Amino acid sequence: METVPALATRQQSIISSKTCPIRLFGSGGILRGTLAEWCAEKGIGEEETLEIEYFESVMPPQRMSTLPHEDWVSSISCQIAGYFLTACYDGNIRAFDYSQKLLQTIPTHNAPVSSICIIPTPSAPSESHLIASASHDLTARITRLTLTPDSSTASPPQTLASLHLHTAPLSSISANSSGTHVLTSSWDGLIGVWNTSIPTIDEVPLDDTQAGAERKRRRKMGDGDDAPRPRRKAPAAVLKSHTARVSKVVFGRAEQDKTAYSCGFDSTVRVWDVENEICTNTITASSKPFLDLALSPSGQSALAASTDRTVSQYDLRASTSSAITPSVATLAHPATPSCIAVSPDSSSEHQLITGAYDGVVRLWDLRSIKSAVTSFKAWEGKDVGKKVLSVDWARGGRRRR
Amino acid sequence: MAATDAKKQTKKRKAAPEDESPLPSAIPQNVGLEMLSDDEGTDGEDGSDGEVDEFPEIDVRSDTEDEDEVDEEGEDSDEDEEEQEEEDDEDESEEDTDDDLHIFPRARTIVSNITGQPKRVYPPIEPDYDSDSSTEDSPNRVGNIPMHWYDDLPHVGYDINGKKVLRPARGDELDKFLETVEDPSSWTTAFDKKAQMDKPLTPQELDIIRRLQENEIPDAQYNPYEPTVEWFTGKGKEEVMPLSAAPEPKRRWVPSKWEKQKVMKIVRAIRQGRILPSKPKTASTQLQFYSVWNEEPSNQPAPLPAPKPRLPTHAESYNPPEEYLPTEEERKQWEETDKEDRERDFLPQKYSALRLVPAYSQFIQERFSRQLDLYLAPRIQRVKLRIDPDSLIPKLPSPNSLRPFPVYRALQAAHEGHRVRSASVSPDGAWVVSGDESGVVRLWEVIVGKEVKRWTFKGKVGAVEWCPRTDVNFFVVGVEEHLHFLIPPNLSAATLTATQSLLSPATLPPQPATPSPIKWVSVSAAASSSDAPILTVNLPSSSGLPKQLVWHRKGDYLATVSSNETQGGVWMHQLSRRHSQAPFKKIKGSVQLVLFHPSKPHFFVATQRYVRLYNLAEQKLLKTLSPGIRWISSMDVHPSGDHLIVGGYDRKLCWFDLELSDKPYKILRYHSRALRSVHFHPTFPLFASSSDDGSIQIFHARVYNDLMTNPLIVPLKILRGHQVKDGLGVLAVRWVLRQPWLVSAGADGAVAVWCS
Repeated sequence: METVPALATRQQSIISSKTCPIRLFGSGGILRGTLAEWCAEKGIGEEETLEIEYFESVMPPQRMSTLPHEDWVSSISCQIAGYFLTACYDGNIRAFDYSQKLLQTIPTHNAPVSSICIIPTPSAPSESHLIASASHDLTARITRLTLTPDSSTASPPQTLASLHLHTAPLSSISANSSGTHVLTSSWDGLIGVWNTSIPTIDEVPLDDTQAGAERKRRRKMGDGDDAPRPRRKAPAAVLKSHTARVSKVVFGRAEQDKTAYSCGFDSTVRVWDVENEICTNTITASSKPFLDLALSPSGQSALAASTDRTVSQYDLRASTSSAITPSVATLAHPATPSCIAVSPDSSSEHQLITGAYDGVVRLWDLRSIKSAVTSFKAWEGKDVGKKVLSVDWARGGRRRR
Repeated sequence: MAATDAKKQTKKRKAAPEDESPLPSAIPQNVGLEMLSDDEGTDGEDGSDGEVDEFPEIDVRSDTEDEDEVDEEGEDSDEDEEEQEEEDDEDESEEDTDDDLHIFPRARTIVSNITGQPKRVYPPIEPDYDSDSSTEDSPNRVGNIPMHWYDDLPHVGYDINGKKVLRPARGDELDKFLETVEDPSSWTTAFDKKAQMDKPLTPQELDIIRRLQENEIPDAQYNPYEPTVEWFTGKGKEEVMPLSAAPEPKRRWVPSKWEKQKVMKIVRAIRQGRILPSKPKTASTQLQFYSVWNEEPSNQPAPLPAPKPRLPTHAESYNPPEEYLPTEEERKQWEETDKEDRERDFLPQKYSALRLVPAYSQFIQERFSRQLDLYLAPRIQRVKLRIDPDSLIPKLPSPNSLRPFPVYRALQAAHEGHRVRSASVSPDGAWVVSGDESGVVRLWEVIVGKEVKRWTFKGKVGAVEWCPRTDVNFFVVGVEEHLHFLIPPNLSAATLTATQSLLSPATLPPQPATPSPIKWVSVSAAASSSDAPILTVNLPSSSGLPKQLVWHRKGDYLATVSSNETQGGVWMHQLSRRHSQAPFKKIKGSVQLVLFHPSKPHFFVATQRYVRLYNLAEQKLLKTLSPGIRWISSMDVHPSGDHLIVGGYDRKLCWFDLELSDKPYKILRYHSRALRSVHFHPTFPLFASSSDDGSIQIFHARVYNDLMTNPLIVPLKILRGHQVKDGLGVLAVRWVLRQPWLVSAGADGAVAVWCS
């Protein structure tokens, strides 16, 4: 199976070019034609004063390379500087460096991995990273990974703990910025809150079938493998309010570390107080099963992709008096949007990218919601049926299946 | 002599002031003289007496200031009358001897009281039947006008002198009534319009009324039985020269045989009863009186007036202005053109005077064409149907108000080039299992479309169905002559254990008394994996492909329909007892589909043309539904259990209200090719139908709880996107539980998920 992560430099390439292309903003959106046409269309007289903003134009990113995988890539992360991590439906987590060299393949799960995230470890050495992965095998795992430019000297990755709570496949996992807690969401409507400390003993007893399978596998792997078995870890708390599949859960940004945001197939976006394990706010949409959620850089609004081909922006500060919360902005897509990533730096706080099932990645500006600022096909025309399953945007990185 | 006599008599009748005078003259010659003379005589006497007595009184009363002369003259006239009567008597006595003829009554010469000169006095002319001054005595001279013009005025008209005739005092109704009681003659009075008062009828008038009542001739002086005047017979009156010398023919004095025959014919008819001599008077022969105004005014439009002829213009004038006169070219052109092509059928011509205008030569032609116009003119007003065509369309809610429903294809999973016969969605709505004709069964996520597991069997996969139970998780795959029970991977431990213990229990249930030809083979729970079927049910050999698998709602019973109908393809399998049985010994027709009722122990069986509803508990036939479809292809029951939709290969989809009738409540014919699959959404008010035309149609179907309201069916959306391959389109549609999403499997090897 071919997979196509494309890598693009955004700011640098534009600034390095001599003429800096800009986009002009009128009161109603991006100016796409001449100013006279725009004025004629809007019915603005020539004598009136126009307030026009500009922002640096975003060139369609050039695809630098594709990273082939054997199966579908479900999640991608470029939070570690210099490396990409991909989670694949064959159960492996792969690490690449910027020269698209496959550094490591970590067989974490024996079922499709649905989501990965990096647990920030400020105290640990820079080569060592903690990765949390969620899988269809009803568990999430925390894996220690040592990434060095020279793959030969790297120590083998070690799965430290498996998180046991859910009774249905997990859909997403995310860690807070300080790296103390991990959230998992699952198809059974539960959100698990876990701390990242690795227990010394199993907190959850092995059940029979699991044990049998474990034993069998270990026997297969041979006795010579002395890798310690991952500790079975129980959740610190369970957030229970969704009535259907929870598709995404994220922590708030750095200053709101105790707040979690989740969206689900029950057409709700919920705000959680993680410490007190209560749902503090519920945003209800009408028949919009949400697939992905992202927080704006300011943390005041949430962007949620739903299966009705829209990405909706919701104001998190709005009270929940009415039954159905109106969305602030709605970005209409021609296909199901599957993933959202917002710009990490504050200079482009209105911008976001979305990936959709038609294989097109779109860059949007929230001030101009009529159409995307730019869009580009993730890969060449012959692979029509491919879908973008995950995008990440950290200083210019995007991946897809 | 005789002629003069008759003449004289008529003259006399004319001139005679009294009516009885001529009748006595006829007495000697009349046969029934006594009767006549008696009647007439008394009447005449009464009449004459009344007349004579009354006249002076009226005169005195009305004109008190009149001159004496009038009185005298009146007296004179009275005397004259008496005298004349005497004369008449004399006439009667004298009979034919009266020889002098008078047109007028004889004048008498008397000496005037005033002048002393002798003067001739004629008897006054009495108003009579043939007198033209019959209204002379009326003081009111307004003439024959509607008298209500004077209703509001104090007078009723003017007399001959132009003076107002005042309205006589009239009593009220009570007075009238009292009058009828007190005055014996009041019933012979009549209201005189001119005088605006009641006048007693004269004896003559009363006599006329009486005669009219008795069907006699109203004129008393007319004698219908006047004596025959013998002009040519009698002594001395014979014709000297007869008109013809021929002897009188025999037929004059021999009775006519022909007449006798005619009469005898009538007599015979009367005897035989063919002619009723006196028809009994029936109600219909009597006059029917009815009130004209009681009838309802007819709502028929008034008959159309004939089209009006065109009005003449200046050009038709005999002396038109110069500009209307044709020029030479116009005249020539008019003459050259054919008659029916001419703009007008005449040429304007100028005459200086009307008397110079010749007769119109085209008159007959014009009248004729006008008659033709009238004859051919439409006289029936064609009532145009003024119906707004939009009003005929039933009022259906807008599809936008019925959201959510699937509108677009979110993703597609391919079975490379093999027909996908069936697909099934797991009861939690997360997984889809689809099986194609090459024996591949794929398990994939609904919303991502990623295949997570694949099984390959030998032969075609006819049906896959997920068990509806939520505590266990497995699905059944029907391949040729086998049912395979498969457990999906990545189950929680509790579910997996429950599923394994259900499908391969440690202690097998006791074998039923009657052995079944169907064998249940399972692997032990420990050895089982998700890679291979944990349980296999071997259907009887040569039963063919199980084309349908249906679970009961509780997940214990499973019914299968095999394609080979000769063996009786319906089998019912019970998981808890690991036992299969054929529910029907014999079924008329080949079974196409079966269905479990969602709430009652009922069982739908669809043969080619009929759907039969059986009660499994009582083992009897409840109903036979006849959809009118030639070959039923698909069927589904509403989650409430009261409604059934049936799709057919002849493009029809029938909606049955099971409470209502055995006939379809609605027949939808929206597909252009055969229907392949229909499915109700378990929770949303939606159903979908798929067809060989490659389209899926989504309907809103709201069912109301009260029995009075009919279900509301609104077509919502046609989903296109599947390719038609080998004449086959979309073979199966299934709804995703809890979401308005649809999974469709097509003959082009694609399984698509349609999202709202």
